[in-house]
Amino acid sequence: MPQASTISVLVVDDQLTMRALIRNALQQIGFKDIREAPDGEEALKNLLAKPANLVISDFNMPKMDGLALLRAVRSHPPIRQTAFVMLTGRADRELVQRAVQFGVNNYCVKPFTVQGLRDKIEQVFGQLT
Amino acid sequence: MTHHNPPEDTERAIKVHVTQGESHVTTDPNVVMTTVLGSCIAACIRDPQSGVGGMNHFLLPDAGDGRGTGGDAVRYGAYAMELLINELLKKGARRERLEAKIFGGAKLFDGLSDVGASNSAFAERFLRDEGIPIVSSSTGGVSARRVEFWPASGRVRQRLVAVDNAPQDVRRPAPVPMPAASSGDVDLF
Repeated sequence: MPQASTISVLVVDDQLTMRALIRNALQQIGFKDIREAPDGEEALKNLLAKPANLVISDFNMPKMDGLALLRAVRSHPPIRQTAFVMLTGRADRELVQRAVQFGVNNYCVKPFTVQGLRDKIEQVFGQLT
Repeated sequence: MTHHNPPEDTERAIKVHVTQGESHVTTDPNVVMTTVLGSCIAACIRDPQSGVGGMNHFLLPDAGDGRGTGGDAVRYGAYAMELLINELLKKGARRERLEAKIFGGAKLFDGLSDVGASNSAFAERFLRDEGIPIVSSSTGGVSARRVEFWPASGRVRQRLVAVDNAPQDVRRPAPVPMPAASSGDVDLF
């Protein structure tokens, strides 16, 4: 069983409030190594400079949206194995289908609960301690 | 707020009523958005330059401690604001030009909890954190509010409504106004 505290996470969302909420939820689950980026472009730079084990990304963002970030991550060999969880709105079924094609590992529909997010991450990493 | 007959008050006006849990965004200068608020909040946000504007109407679920500020409640409110802001950006607004007016958050009944106050506090903090200026607001008090918002001009007209005259769903809004917080599924995995 992987320890949440050993998994590094990059949170990508253009809204500071949402980043803070996701960070807070991750800390409640036990994650400690948490970084943030305000859009896909910054996130990609951040990952190429210092890879993470997990990306949790919003879809709607300026410059580079979540789907473009996912494609970019999957096309850069050094970071292509990064686990990628997309946060989506309820109406984004089509987006989820496209994200699946591009290799997303899981998705979580907003507004999410801490347990809901935990479940989605555990479906990727296995049960967390 | 202006009180003379504004140019927006024409027969061409298209009224869009925004109920609890909804948000609506338009670029149509003939649209006026209306809502009636008790302890709920309506954020009216617009980009004056592009003429894109919209309104949401939400109520944070009570966290059980009477303050409505628990983590799930805030996630809920942040989602309501995000829906509105994302739609504004999609329709051509620019984030750095957005400005907001907020209304509602009344305390309609005596009691220990003041959900209205925690709703107002949430909205103010959210907008401050996101760098969206609040150019005017009318929150708190003990009356319901009937609000009309002209997104093209940014003008708002507000009338206070005595609690007894407010619609039932305004007096006693349901605690969960939007899709329930989700473990989140479209069933593709």
